[in-house]
Formats: sequence, C-alpha cells, structure tokens
Amino acid sequence: MTAGSVQEQSDLAAQLAGFVGLEAEPPRVARYAVNKAMIRNWVEAHDDHNAVYVDDAAARATGREGIVCPPAMISTWVMAGYRRWREIHRLRAEGAVEDFAYSRLMNLLDRAGYTSVVATNVEQDYHRELRPGDHVTAHFTIEFISPVKRTALGEGCFLTLHKKYVDQAGDLLVEERFRLLRFKPRPTQPAAEEDVA
Amino acid sequence: MSFPDVRVGTALPVLELPLDRSTIVATAIASQDFEDVHHDPGKAQERGTPDIFMSINSTNGFVDRYVTDWSGPAARITRVALRLGVPNFPGDAMRLTGEVTGVDGDAVTLKVLGANERGVHVTAEVTLVPTGGKAR
Repeated sequence: MTAGSVQEQSDLAAQLAGFVGLEAEPPRVARYAVNKAMIRNWVEAHDDHNAVYVDDAAARATGREGIVCPPAMISTWVMAGYRRWREIHRLRAEGAVEDFAYSRLMNLLDRAGYTSVVATNVEQDYHRELRPGDHVTAHFTIEFISPVKRTALGEGCFLTLHKKYVDQAGDLLVEERFRLLRFKPRPTQPAAEEDVA
Repeated sequence: MSFPDVRVGTALPVLELPLDRSTIVATAIASQDFEDVHHDPGKAQERGTPDIFMSINSTNGFVDRYVTDWSGPAARITRVALRLGVPNFPGDAMRLTGEVTGVDGDAVTLKVLGANERGVHVTAEVTLVPTGGKAR
C-alpha cells in the first residue's frame, strides 16, 4: 500500500488546503513580444492555413489591423524557455524548493509520491486578439485543490490554476482556468484504461 | 458577414487528422512545452503512460484550426472550454466532428468532439463571432 497512513493522508490534506487562494508564482512576464516567427512555427506545426495568422493583407480584409495570433497560443508567450525547464527539473530532482507557493506545492506532492502530471481541462475567455508587438504578463493563482482521489491513471489530486493574461498596458487579454491531475504513476497500463475523466 | 448555414444542429465537415510522432513533438515544441511526456517515450513510460502523448495546448490549437477552417478567416474565437479524455498517441488518427449548439445574435457556439480509435480525446465548446470584415 503506497497511500500512507490515515494520519499522513489527513496531514497532506491540511497542507494542500493551505495553498488554495495563493498566488502560484511571481507574475510571469513574456520573454519577448508576440511575434510573427513564433506564430508561423505554431501554425505550420498545426497545419493551420488560416491566412490571418501570416498575411497582413488577408488579415486587414477581415477587418483586423493586421496579423493576429492564434488564440490557443496565449500560454506559449509566457513559457519559461528550454534553459529554465532544465533548471526546474534539476532543482526538482535535488528536492530543492524555490520561494513561491507553486514550487512548495510541487515539492509537497513530489514527496507524497504524486510525481506525474496530466492536464485535463482548459477554459479560456479571449477578450481581444493578440498582435505582433503585444507584450504579455500572466498572473497565476492556485484556485482549487481536490482531495486525493482514485483515477484511471492512479491515485492523485486535481489542481485548478486561474490564469489572468494582461497586455503591456495592464488590460485583460485572456482569462483561463487550467485543471491538471498530479498522480502516482503505476506500471504502464493498456492505452484503453488511460481516460482520466 | 455571417457564418455559413448557421442554425442549431448544423454539422461541421468531418476532419480526419493522422497524428504521427513528429506532429506531437512539433506542436509541443512550437508552444515551448518541453515536458518530456510530449517527446521522450522512455520518460513517458516511467511516468505511467505507454508512449508520448499530445499536449493540451496542441489539442486546443487543433480545435481552433478545425473551427476556423469551417467559419472562414473573418471570425474571432471568444471562448474555448475543453476537456480531455483518452490521450492522442503517435499513430493515432483524430476524427474531429462539430455541431452548432447555439446562435445568439452574431455569436455562434459549437460543440466539437475529437475521437481516436480508443475513444473521445477531446470534448470542446467554442464560441466565435464575426470580425466585421468583408472577406470569407
């Protein structure tokens, strides 16, 4: 049995509850402005032929000022980059904790054995389209943490992050709810049993 | 402008999307998502899945594409809510289907399903409005 004692489970639940409502990490400022090159890489990978993402004249013909960014790219602009991804994984392997709530939460879940992650839901309200030159900042809040549950992937808990993306003037661009499952990996299951819902 | 044949119940054309390893990796990297479960089969297995799988942001991108392929370029997506079911693995084909579920003034709401051989990968609700331009 990997679930630990009832007392350990109850301690974990109390610690998890303490994270609800906290700012997950300092505001994430995009490393660079929205730009045509990254938009083009994205639309080619998705084989999306909508001309408003790559052709200013085509975009103007639809009433826009010029090229716009695909809506689902919003999170891309505030990704931390490859070097930082390496650093986060190195710190995590060392058990190091950084000085913000999400790092402390991940460390708590890692130590309890909930080391794997899968995203389950995303909801995004787009207040306006992004254009090249826009500079995105995201504010992440830990909105909800479920009790530990049994799922098809294994035992785990669901986290909901609220993400507010604003532009260089501080005006709201996108409001998002992102739900993920942190779970204890089991030996690989047949694919048909992988439904997390 | 208005959208093509906008009535509740109108079906969108089906899109069959073959997904190979390159698709899953290229879309993850285009979104700056370096999580190993989206590109490293060995690490994916250590983490409890049989192979690498498509990221939620990539799925979101394919839903955008499917919807605007139908609406044409003079449409703006104002809201997406999606839920994942079975993962998309290399070698899968995702079959996207959609239906108009609501018309409210200019705004059109669609239900989109993406399914592979093992079941439903994504259930999405998408709302879009016309941009006001002349092009379709």
